[in-house]
Amino acid sequence: MDADSFNDLALRVIAGEATDTERQALEAELSAHPERRDEFDQVKITHEVLRTTAPMTEAARATEPELPAYRLNELRTAVRQHFGPAAQRSGMGKASSAWLQAFRWIFAGGGLTALTLLLVFLNLSNRTVEVGIYRTDLMRNGDASLSAQDVPSAKLMTFDQDTPFDQWQSQPLAWYERAKIWVDNEHDLLHVVRRVDYGRISVETQPLAPTDEGQREQIKRVVESLQK
Amino acid sequence: MGTDRELLDALRRGDDKAWEETFRRLYPCAFAAAKHPLASLTPTEAEDVAIEALTLLLPKVNQVAEFDELRLLVVTIASRKAISEKRRQLADKRGGGDLTSLDALQDDETIRFEPAEQIAGRLNVTDLRDLSRLLDAALSGLEPRHADLLRDFLVHHLSYKELSEKYDMPVGSVGVNLARSLEKIRTQLKAAPKLWKELVSFLR
Repeated sequence: MDADSFNDLALRVIAGEATDTERQALEAELSAHPERRDEFDQVKITHEVLRTTAPMTEAARATEPELPAYRLNELRTAVRQHFGPAAQRSGMGKASSAWLQAFRWIFAGGGLTALTLLLVFLNLSNRTVEVGIYRTDLMRNGDASLSAQDVPSAKLMTFDQDTPFDQWQSQPLAWYERAKIWVDNEHDLLHVVRRVDYGRISVETQPLAPTDEGQREQIKRVVESLQK
Repeated sequence: MGTDRELLDALRRGDDKAWEETFRRLYPCAFAAAKHPLASLTPTEAEDVAIEALTLLLPKVNQVAEFDELRLLVVTIASRKAISEKRRQLADKRGGGDLTSLDALQDDETIRFEPAEQIAGRLNVTDLRDLSRLLDAALSGLEPRHADLLRDFLVHHLSYKELSEKYDMPVGSVGVNLARSLEKIRTQLKAAPKLWKELVSFLR
């Protein structure tokens, strides 16, 4: 069998175009001439390679069909998913993104500072307890009177006259004040004005202890309870 | 969009318009590759494969040096996916208890996909570009009629009978012409021993 006939027969068998008779003829030829096995393999490899790759090389030149319009959104979504929102990608988006990053840090820093200040403010504020008392009471009662040592955590406010004492009593609590208390000897009451939940102001009175020493202890207890 | 270079830069930035233009440009190639005759997918299946192949370009855009590589890349991806899809369909058909499964088993139809899958799966963009040039050169060396006959046999997988009718040529002559043309192509391919060796290695 000459080379042309052999290649033709081999290709027919490989391409599935051969009849049974032709297949048997090829088998007989390969049995009689084993050296042609390599030739057969070469035809087979060439056929395998080209039947796979030739359609691919041709596909690279294709110019139709057009992309179906209804598939475009799917592809746009894929782009968004891969690259993120469009605003982050455009040239301006890049610049804005840089600014945005900077602003983020500034705002984050600002926020942190504000939070810190708030914490400091909360720590400093709402802590003071003022205790209002006439100076004469201090002098008159001697050892039994209230002193700054008795209520070290409170601020002792001494008054010589009624008017400023009344003004102090009627003034609302300042932002830094937690409470103020004073003794009402006229009615034997202890007045307690204090800040409770969510900034609400509570005005309470309680019967005054009958003795000076008892009053001192009573004020100390109230101050301590207000500091908790 | 200006030059291909500018287009590629825009793609890397994730420019929506650039991607849309690229998808429009490359869809025909992706679809043609998905219609690979070995896969013989329906148009709808091929469309799905083509769209998927286009989306798979997104993570690869930074790996290509020039825009045209994307064209070859989408072709390799779509071909590979189409052939794998066909093979999967055949496997499902077998596993699905179809009455024809015994026949399919006897014919061992999937065997014919193995070499194709091996080649399509391992062929890279450079291989495809080199192969395309070699094939063009080899086919241009044949008589136009014989080149067309071989192209229809290899690219469109027309049978001898179909070729005989299309070219008004006896089936015997079709076979002889194809075998001679194929031999010339093989000689041409062997002139690029590195590529040829690589292609052959894909089959092993």
